[in-house]
Amino acid sequence: MAFLKEFLILVIVFAIIKPFDCERLHEQIYSSIEGGAACFKRLNGTHQAGCSSSDKGAVGVVQMIYDVTDAQWLVYNATVGPCIAVINTALFHDVIELLMAKPANVAGIIVYHNATTRPTTFSQESKCPNEYSSGPGSQCLSSPTSSNVWNEGGTGLIRRDIPYPIFYIPQTRLEEIEKIENCYKRYNLDRFNQEGKPLCSLQLNSFMFAAVNSAVCLRRSATSALLTPTKVCDPLGDQNVHYSLFPLEKGEEVKKKPITLVTARIDTASLFDGMAPGAASSVVGMASLIMSAVTLSKMIPVANSSLYDNNVLWTLFNGEAFDYIGSQRVAYDLSRGAWPPFSPLTPSDINLHVELGQIGGSLQIYKENASWPLYAYAASSFSQITEFLVVMSENANAFNITLTPEFTTNLPPSSLHSFRRILKNETESGDLPEVLLIDHQGKFTNTYYESVLDDDTNIGFIYHNISVGPEGKFTPTDELLANGIMKETDIQVKMSRLATALARTLYQRVTGKAYTGDIAASAHLADEMLYCLLRSQACRLLMAADYASGSEETPSARPPPLYVGVAAWPSTPAVFAGHLLALLAGAHLPLDRTACDARLEPGFSHYWLRGWNHSGVCVQTTMNFTQAMSPAFIIPALGIDFDTAFRPKKS
Amino acid sequence: MDLNRLPNDKKLQLCKWYFKVGCMFLPFVWAVNAVWFFKEAFVKPPYEEQNQIKKYVIMSAGGAAVWVCVLAAWVTVFQTHRVSWAATGDSLSFIVPLGRA
Repeated sequence: MAFLKEFLILVIVFAIIKPFDCERLHEQIYSSIEGGAACFKRLNGTHQAGCSSSDKGAVGVVQMIYDVTDAQWLVYNATVGPCIAVINTALFHDVIELLMAKPANVAGIIVYHNATTRPTTFSQESKCPNEYSSGPGSQCLSSPTSSNVWNEGGTGLIRRDIPYPIFYIPQTRLEEIEKIENCYKRYNLDRFNQEGKPLCSLQLNSFMFAAVNSAVCLRRSATSALLTPTKVCDPLGDQNVHYSLFPLEKGEEVKKKPITLVTARIDTASLFDGMAPGAASSVVGMASLIMSAVTLSKMIPVANSSLYDNNVLWTLFNGEAFDYIGSQRVAYDLSRGAWPPFSPLTPSDINLHVELGQIGGSLQIYKENASWPLYAYAASSFSQITEFLVVMSENANAFNITLTPEFTTNLPPSSLHSFRRILKNETESGDLPEVLLIDHQGKFTNTYYESVLDDDTNIGFIYHNISVGPEGKFTPTDELLANGIMKETDIQVKMSRLATALARTLYQRVTGKAYTGDIAASAHLADEMLYCLLRSQACRLLMAADYASGSEETPSARPPPLYVGVAAWPSTPAVFAGHLLALLAGAHLPLDRTACDARLEPGFSHYWLRGWNHSGVCVQTTMNFTQAMSPAFIIPALGIDFDTAFRPKKS
Repeated sequence: MDLNRLPNDKKLQLCKWYFKVGCMFLPFVWAVNAVWFFKEAFVKPPYEEQNQIKKYVIMSAGGAAVWVCVLAAWVTVFQTHRVSWAATGDSLSFIVPLGRA
């Protein structure tokens, strides 16, 4: 009877509580943290790098790290079990080595970014990016004592095996950090009396399927296990984009026009999934290349192809952050006469290779100044290089851009390393002279190299939001300057000037005479392109350059991650870059969709894109995609120990 | 099935049948046989077929025990050496290990 009485009391108590608070117990105890990006795992031929939690997630007591002593306390003195360190990006570099060296008490890390305290350096790439794929003559050694390095502030975390999960919370999700901090202050602040008390804790879940190295991962993905047919990882790879001024000739008997190869990279990297903005490291170079290609296509119409004996081939490499996947594949395919697939070239067809490397790092340094100092790195002073530099300097100087030549075999990280390594004979004999345009002499000016903070703020981008005229007419730079809409110091203006200078230089190479017309790259186009690549994919340019499909699906209003994709399908940035080249530099044919798809013209491809008025447009272009996947996958003799990088599946 | 209701010759037939089936690499059937007929073989008062049943029960129990030893040894070796066997280890695995060596 007594039991029944208690039972009744309990029921009554619950009945009283229930109407006041309908939340389930679980919801009262737990709160989910939204918008975080996980550090994920990557594999190469011999090692695994990156992070993973256990399959049930990593649980630890919240410990806010406000200074280095907090981290020291966590590592040496905390007694309540593993902790989750919550660190500001400004402090991350100061404490990460300690947390990596003594991981026993660390269950995981949350890194958050608060724009008011932007760190001076934040790069998880190594001090010598792609050190093990560099060409002959490279002197960069990423040993702790080495001073002659490119990425001075690099921690190399992206290449190391991290024993716990790390999540990144961006500025836009700062309220989540406030939530964690409030909880921390309420329960965990009294460090000396934590034993036996309920404490505020976090659970981080980022379990990765793959482990050990790429051989193991490939093997396990290929195994058709009866119960778990799981693909545990995908090889990194994507699409390279190439576009030629004139169609490339086919066949052995045709005399091929000498080619000037102009390249840049599409991709960048970051420790965190889906957050690889790459503004200074890739976007500025890629956008400048696209603008320059578009400008040159207007200076020399494709119909004039028969008048000239030179051609320009623009190429955007993908996967460069990981052992130069894209350029390595192109260099390898060139060596065996397989690139581009439909009209293969030999290395001797290319009489100059110009790479637009990392040029966005110094924009912020020179934001008050109309000048933009650039450097031209070349391994040797072959005549083709010096001739190019003379013309380029002249054209660039007219726009306040200085170009200082630097002749050394110790070249900064760039696709030149792939060519110098794989086509050693041709590059060293001068058959394939190469020059690299960058914005730094010695160490990088971009202190956020391949990190989440290499964003629009890093290059000082301010969007002007100028409407695009019908049929994609962009306001010329001079008009924008005259109207006062833009200033000489704006990065859009500087990029358009560089693109114009490069287009004029190439015009002179193709035609043999200096350019006297008034066609120039538009800073308005630069404005739109940077907005699309750094702020929002739901932008005018990319909407117009997308495939015209039945549904008017609006892309997400966030920047596309420039991280190289997995080889199974092309990533957004490569498709964007290719389509932009097609739309802006290609010929628009008055055809409907069926006729467009059916049209065959040697040397050209046809794309049915959405167009400026979204009604669909048939574009005829020389642009095409080629596979950017490590040659290791097509050369069985090399084995996968060569240098493949894998991105594991997330649970 | 209630063994008590079965005539003795049927019991022997059943025990013998279970032993034979167990010979088809089915140690669990041997184990069942040994447990099921244990009372018939060792506890019940003697009857004509008991000696034979006893023989089959002992053989089944012995066989099952040998199997347990062999399997335990194999499981121990497999679990401790799977990682070092690399590709062989993975091909011998029924469940692909995730997130670890």
